Formats: sequence, C-alpha cells, structure tokens
Amino acid sequence: MRFFSFHLMPYPKLPADYDGPAWVTCPNEFFDPKVGHEVYNRYLDELVYADELGFDGVCVNEHHQNAYGIMPSPNLMASILARQTKNVKIAVVGNALPLYDPPTRVAEEFAMIDNISGGRLIAGFVVGGGPEYYSFSINPAHARERFQEAHDIIIKAWTEPGPQEYIGKHYKLRFLNTWPKPMQKPHPEVWIPGVGSLETMEFVAKHHYAYMGIPYFHIDVFDRSFRLFREACEREGYTYEPKQAGWLAPIYVAETDEQARAEYEEHFWYFVKRLLPGINIQPPGYTSLRSMENIMKGAGTFAIGLNTWDQVEEGVYAVVGSPETVYKKLEENLRRLGTGNLLGLFQLGTLPADLTKRNLELFAREVMPRLRERFPEGKAMLEAKEAVA
Amino acid sequence: MTAAVVAEELVETRIGKIEVRRGGSGKPIVYLHSAAGEGAGLAFLDELASTRELFAPMFPGFGLSEGIEQIDDMEDAVFHLLDLFDRLGLRAPDVMGLSLGGWLAAELATRYPDRLSKLILANPAGLYIEGAPIKDIFGRSPKEMAQDLFADMSHPAAQMMLRINDEMSNVAALGQAIPFELLKPQLQSMAATARVGWNPYLHNPKLRKRLARITAPTLVIRGEKDTLIPAPHCETYAREIPGAKLVEMSGVAHMVSMEQPKELAALVNEFLGS
Repeated sequence: MRFFSFHLMPYPKLPADYDGPAWVTCPNEFFDPKVGHEVYNRYLDELVYADELGFDGVCVNEHHQNAYGIMPSPNLMASILARQTKNVKIAVVGNALPLYDPPTRVAEEFAMIDNISGGRLIAGFVVGGGPEYYSFSINPAHARERFQEAHDIIIKAWTEPGPQEYIGKHYKLRFLNTWPKPMQKPHPEVWIPGVGSLETMEFVAKHHYAYMGIPYFHIDVFDRSFRLFREACEREGYTYEPKQAGWLAPIYVAETDEQARAEYEEHFWYFVKRLLPGINIQPPGYTSLRSMENIMKGAGTFAIGLNTWDQVEEGVYAVVGSPETVYKKLEENLRRLGTGNLLGLFQLGTLPADLTKRNLELFAREVMPRLRERFPEGKAMLEAKEAVA
Repeated sequence: MTAAVVAEELVETRIGKIEVRRGGSGKPIVYLHSAAGEGAGLAFLDELASTRELFAPMFPGFGLSEGIEQIDDMEDAVFHLLDLFDRLGLRAPDVMGLSLGGWLAAELATRYPDRLSKLILANPAGLYIEGAPIKDIFGRSPKEMAQDLFADMSHPAAQMMLRINDEMSNVAALGQAIPFELLKPQLQSMAATARVGWNPYLHNPKLRKRLARITAPTLVIRGEKDTLIPAPHCETYAREIPGAKLVEMSGVAHMVSMEQPKELAALVNEFLGS
C-alpha cells in the first residue's frame, strides 16, 4: 500500500450569503488575494509536512475558474514541492491535456519537474472536468480526441528520439523535439483519474496505467468502477495489479469518534454544499452515451445530495473517527476495492491549519503503519474469488 | 386540400444513414430543424406538405441520423447537405431553416447560391452581434431554456421541459426518476449541436460578410417574443441579404414552427407562391 496526501487547495472564504455554483460563473470578486497568499503557503506547508511524516507521495491537481480548488497550474505547485520535499513522489493528477495547445507544454513541464525532483514525478493525465470546457471554451465534443492525441504526443516526445513529426486532427507539430526529457525511464508512472467513463477505463487498462477513482459518490459506485476497470484489464489479457488503482477519500482522524465528528463536520459540509455545486455540469458531447448511461447509474449518490451525517457514514463519503475506527473503515474498504494506492484528502473545505496538522500526524503515526503491514506492497489485495470479477 | 402523409425514411449518404421526413407533392421545399430536433409529429411539416413536396432531414446526430463524428463545423455540414440534396434528386429546392437550421441554410446559400430557389430563415443563428449575444443553450436549466423558446408555457413541449427540470433538480433521484431513454435524444442533439456551435458560439465569424452573395429571394421571420436570439440578428440578416424581407410574427417566441404552425405555413406559402 502506498499513501498519498492529496490537496485540493480550496478557497475557504466564499461569502456566507452566496449560494450559487463554485464553478465557471462563481464571481471572481469573491477572491481576496490576502486569503490567497495565506492559504497557498499554508497548503504547500501541509504537503511538505506529509513528506516529513513519511507519506509515499503528495498529490496536486488542475482546475480552473472555481473556488473548489484554486490550482489552475498544479505544475507550479509541483515545482515548488520538487525543491521543498525530499522523498515523496509528486503526483500531478493531472494536467488537463485538451486544454494545452500544443500539449508539448505538458511534456516539457512534467520533464522539468521530474528532473528537478530527481525522478519523483507521477504524471497524471486528465480529460479535464466538465466545467473546464465552459471555462476554456474548448469544444467538449473533441475532448476525447484531443486527449488521445495529446497523450500520444507526450509519450512520443518522452520515448522516441526527436526531432520527429506529429500530424493529427487537432494538433500538427512539424518539429516535436522536447527538451528536457524526463529522468525516469521509459517515462514517469502515469495516473489517470476518472468518474466512471468506460472509455477512460479502457484507455488506462490498454496502456497499463493506473486508474484513480474520483470521490464524492457512494462507496458502491467506487466498487463498481474498480470492478469495471479490472474487467477492462482482463479484456486486455492481464490481471490488474493493486498499484494500478487508487482510492481518493476525505480522511479525518482525532482522538475519539465523537471528537472527530464534532471537529470535522462543519468543514465537510462547507465542501459539499458550497464548493461542489457546479462541478457536475456535463457539457454536451463530453461523454459518450454508453459512458453517460454508466455514470447516470451512480449520479443519484453524488455527494451534493447528502443531507445527514448518517448518509456520509453509510456511503463512506468521508472516513472520520478515532485512529482505530479510521483503520477499520479503511482496511475494510481497501480490501473491498483492491486499490494499492490510498489518496487521502486530509484538508477539506474550511478545515483549519491546526486540525489539518493533527489529522496528518495521527494518521501517519497510528493508522498508516498498521495499513502498511496489513497490505504489503506488491501483494494481491482482493480475496481470490474476487480478484477476477 | 387533401391531408398529406408525412412519412420517414432512411437515406444513404456519404457519412451514413440520414432520417428524412417526406410527403406531399409540388414544388420541393427542404425544412432544416433547430437544435431542438423538431420533426416527429410536427404539425408544421404536414402544413407544408399540403401544398408542396416536403423534405425534412434530421441533422447528423439527431434522431436516427448517423455520421456526426464526421461533422466538425458548418463547412462539413454544408457538404453533407449538398450530398443529401444530390441523393434526393434536389437541384435547387426552396430551403427553410429554423435557428440552427437557419444558420445551415444561410451557409449553403452563401457558398452555393445556385443550389436553392428561395430562402426562408426563421429566428436564425449564425451571426455574432456585439451587444446582442445569443443566450446560452449548453449550460442552462431546461426551465430557463423553455422560457426563451416558448411564448406560451402551456405548450406540451414547454411542459415537458419543466417536468425534466423538476426531476433533474432532485439530485438524490437522478438516474432513477428520469429513464435514460428519455434523456438520450436531448443528450445526442446537444452533443451534435456542440460540434458545430460550441466555439465560436453558434456563429461563423465569416458568415456576415458573405451574406451579400446570396441570390435567392429571402424571407427572414422573427418570433416577436424570441428571447434566445435577439432581434438584431434577424434585422442584420434582412439588411445584408440583398432584397431580403423581414416579417415579425406576434405572440410567438423562438420555436415558431411548434407554437404557430398554421400561421407560419400561411406566411411561408404567401412568400413562396404556388
């Protein structure tokens, strides 16, 4: 089992009387650079602290024009982390490839981060969230084609000698010859996050990459997604390895269950009720009909519809409690999902610095070692009968 | 006047099968639908077919029509339309288009003015006019959309949009309340529209300066209460197409062919003559 501390870098100060979406049209007059200065530095400190506490990696991601995560350029954050951390993998999960034109930019910046960090980059590629297609006015009907072409360009740039030519439908590059190239050979580990699109799973399975399940749905939806992903690997003629799957979940540890919930709940609801609205907008043509049908099956469990803490607990939307409780819940669900990477959101919504710090410490000291022992790296995680769905 | 039978058939084209409604006899007219994909059960088509030979093709990606993956912009759409005309034996029919269909008709008429006789543009998209943007169709709720599309909210299609709106706003019921089959046509037609109209948003920056090339006698019809496409769009078309006439229909919004089929058919027949 590998443990990652994932930071969304949320904007914690939306006005109390604003009840609109946190995405695309959320007025940027709400953004206060004083708050920005404070939280950017604080959030980076929290990721650096995860390195000191012995996590295997830290994760940053890319979103635009929103209050949910004020990280339009995760590569800037990753380059700082490349210098300020010593041991952790730096997972950029990911760059939204169709938004880069030409996508050679991603090949270049990722290679820079890999060089600076001494080969610690995990290269995440994403199609980009639905809102990004509004924010960038990129045609969602071309999302998958552009993603595919951009991916091919980046992998070619990293693995084949240049200069070479790439002539696709969306990108035409007469001289593809990226300097620098990544330190890791043949290229950094590739992660692809997804919400249940079948095309994405098939793509990940085909290339032997890793599939990261995006949270905010009932645990049964994750279960189904990873099952579909394992089936996609089987269709490619191999059995998935746990390191090819990651479960992303909000995690909060305190001394007791009661204390954990009392400290955490309001911050969780700020995230769910204030920062999630708008994330689920589906631009036309962004997802194929068969994937849309699959996604719709889980749509009713989307976290925005949550109203009670019991629902949160029942659907494992967040793993909250004493070290013992958090261990048990994680152990049970990791065994069920078969994911060899655990991506924890240890800061969420308005969760303040002191609680985030203690959360990371308690997790690293009292939960992580037990889970490491329980799930040794490289070992199968699912019961034999479950391994092949 | 005998009741014309409008029947659908599938026509083979270079990009796949295309669903076409046909009926009536007389001088041929082609009706190009809006992004709403109106066609099945549209009384206006029966009205048209009662005096002329009607052809109402579904744009690729709408209904049963295939080939949308080969359409990236209006240029592709125009070449597809030429191909379809050839296969239907249409040399220079009268062409009428509503909204998205109006835009397509105008693109055809600027590029191949000899492939149509008379042109009717109803609440056409296709232009960018500073200070008078076309309202968003890709991200707003069905309720907001319905209010722009219909003057009379008791129209069955407006009522259906309100119903979908109510069911979609209940997150917890998503995926259960609305059968996927009901949403599918809407998802398909919006995806098809996005292919040609996402960016630039529902317009071609080059179209306006080309309108002077249109030679067909042209009628521009504006629905008085259309709040989706503001009045300056129809006015610009009428001003820039040589000799074009502009008429306004009262008490109707964007979906003129759905809201006032009889009145619209009378206008069209008067313009086209017999």
